[in-house]
Amino acid sequence: MNRKQQIFEGVFTNNPVLVQQIGLCATMAISTTLFNGIGMGLSVLIILTCCNVVVSLIRKIIPEQVRLAIFVVVIAGFVTIVDLLLQAFIPALSNALGVFIPLIVVNCIIIGRAEAFSSKNSVKDSFFDGVFQGLGYTVVLICMCLFRELLGSGTIGGGLLNGATSFFTLDGTGAGIRIFPQEYAAGILVLPFGGFLTLGLLMALMQHMLSKREARRAAKEKEDDE
Amino acid sequence: MNKTLQMFKPGLMLLMVAAAAAFILGLVNLATAGRIAAIAEETMRGAMQSVLPAAAYTDTGAEDDGEVEAIYAAEGGGWVVRVTESGSQGLITMMVGVSSDYACTGISITESSETAGLGAVAGQQSEKGEAFRAQFVGQSGTVAVTKEGGEIDAISGATITSKAVCKGVTAAIAACQALGGAQSAPVVEAVGPSSEAVVVPADAGPGYVTLPSGEPSMG
Amino acid sequence: MLASIVSISLGAILVNNFIFSQFLGLCPFLGVSNKMSTATGMSVAVIFVMTMASAICWVINTYLLIPLGLKFMQTVAYILVIAVLVQFVEMFLKKSIPSLYSAMGIFLPLITTNCAVLGVVLLNTQNNYNFLESVVYGFTGGVGFTLAIVLFASVRERLEFADYPKAFEGFAICLVSAALFALAFMGFSGMKIM
Repeated sequence: MNRKQQIFEGVFTNNPVLVQQIGLCATMAISTTLFNGIGMGLSVLIILTCCNVVVSLIRKIIPEQVRLAIFVVVIAGFVTIVDLLLQAFIPALSNALGVFIPLIVVNCIIIGRAEAFSSKNSVKDSFFDGVFQGLGYTVVLICMCLFRELLGSGTIGGGLLNGATSFFTLDGTGAGIRIFPQEYAAGILVLPFGGFLTLGLLMALMQHMLSKREARRAAKEKEDDE
Repeated sequence: MNKTLQMFKPGLMLLMVAAAAAFILGLVNLATAGRIAAIAEETMRGAMQSVLPAAAYTDTGAEDDGEVEAIYAAEGGGWVVRVTESGSQGLITMMVGVSSDYACTGISITESSETAGLGAVAGQQSEKGEAFRAQFVGQSGTVAVTKEGGEIDAISGATITSKAVCKGVTAAIAACQALGGAQSAPVVEAVGPSSEAVVVPADAGPGYVTLPSGEPSMG
Repeated sequence: MLASIVSISLGAILVNNFIFSQFLGLCPFLGVSNKMSTATGMSVAVIFVMTMASAICWVINTYLLIPLGLKFMQTVAYILVIAVLVQFVEMFLKKSIPSLYSAMGIFLPLITTNCAVLGVVLLNTQNNYNFLESVVYGFTGGVGFTLAIVLFASVRERLEFADYPKAFEGFAICLVSAALFALAFMGFSGMKIM
């Protein structure tokens, strides 16, 4: 399988959030600061990769009837491991994401990839699929966080970067680098309204780009024909 | 025989996977439990130290009434109270320091799920958050936001969060007064001056539904 | 007691609506809100499963997981309970109440991966609700979901005739409309029973 194509698909043409339109809940809920976005993205990336590998490993011995139940147990297992590790080593992230960490269990991206990809493909391909799809998810989260945080509270890198003292923190206390004063920020973007709106706009942008690409390709084919 | 085996195979498989998952999770839990408990302990100690510094704290064994969860007596006078209030998004857990003359010595929010940028400011290590929390130092009796006749400036856009914190501090002070009053009689005198600070809000009674008119309260 | 129940109900239905303010259960929300009839079918199934799951998971958590020191197994146990519950409900309805099954049967398998269901159970645990409060939160959370999805279905039926840029086709325009709903629901956030 072509890795280059696989990464392009994961991040762009078959992006889990913007194109497959799954795993939306957490995307909107936690994309308020860069710290949350990167933390959530990487957690999903790790869980997705591990689940893909395990599902691919056991794909030939699991009975058809309880397939989904076994996937769910595997996913829930990995989610709990990540949850416990975050609580122990990055408690600030665990506090910030709250219930959305255990909710990764029902994130359709993971069960979707298990069902659609890793239960049919080799371990190696599944591993890369997990990494690239996870990457696609993380990129979307980072875009949303940057947009909402910059316009909504006037900072960049909230929780992660710290304008004043140490530049980089992992305890979630960083206030972010202030670009413009809080008074001028559209605070509403940090609220649920902003989550829906930002994702809607990003999705429209993606559809626009994809249709442009499609049109170009059609035009090229037509040219080739003539 | 073979047929019954066929029938049970899926269930057995599921059971095996679940057992394996439980086993691995047990190991991870064993490895992390100590650390998680230590972090919780440290967060709590840190919060207690920040609201009322003392060499040691002893749990008074006060009963959890759904609001005041625990009261710790600080060595050298005063108490640290753990209070939980419902904010705008979920529960807010905070530590409130109360001096022996029933004035607030400081607050620290240990857990909250308020909206980022609005209600969450109350617990943040930012200038705004520090300024909000500093207002509570020295407050006594009933603590309320300015709109309700009190002295606390609410965080803009987060009236509900601010009110919840006020309510928590009030509950903490009341709980300490009850505790102090029960332990020794003379302390009742101390209630006198502090109750002067009680300001009954003109427009608010218990069980009211408010839709603040001035600023939107979304926090 | 009554006050806490009224406050939980009001919170779950309006102030902290599962969809418009907590972002839980969006996949089925966007997936089945295109027609009023499917929206109501899904809602009934969600209310039912959320209430049942809240009750069962509370019992399992309080009498099994906590005494045995297996709190770390909560997520695994909850999702299994929900999966099994959905399966049982489906079997039971198919056999005994076929009319109800035909109304909500096809939505049941979708509910296992509905994050509102797992979400309500996890929130019950997080908020330390007792049995009654958990059940009330589960039920009213489902009612809030219903309110959101039924309101939205009526908007989407009109959206079909609306003229909007082509790039917004599909979920994108839905999300933008949902944003306006979220804005409207924010009006409830000042409401609170003290």
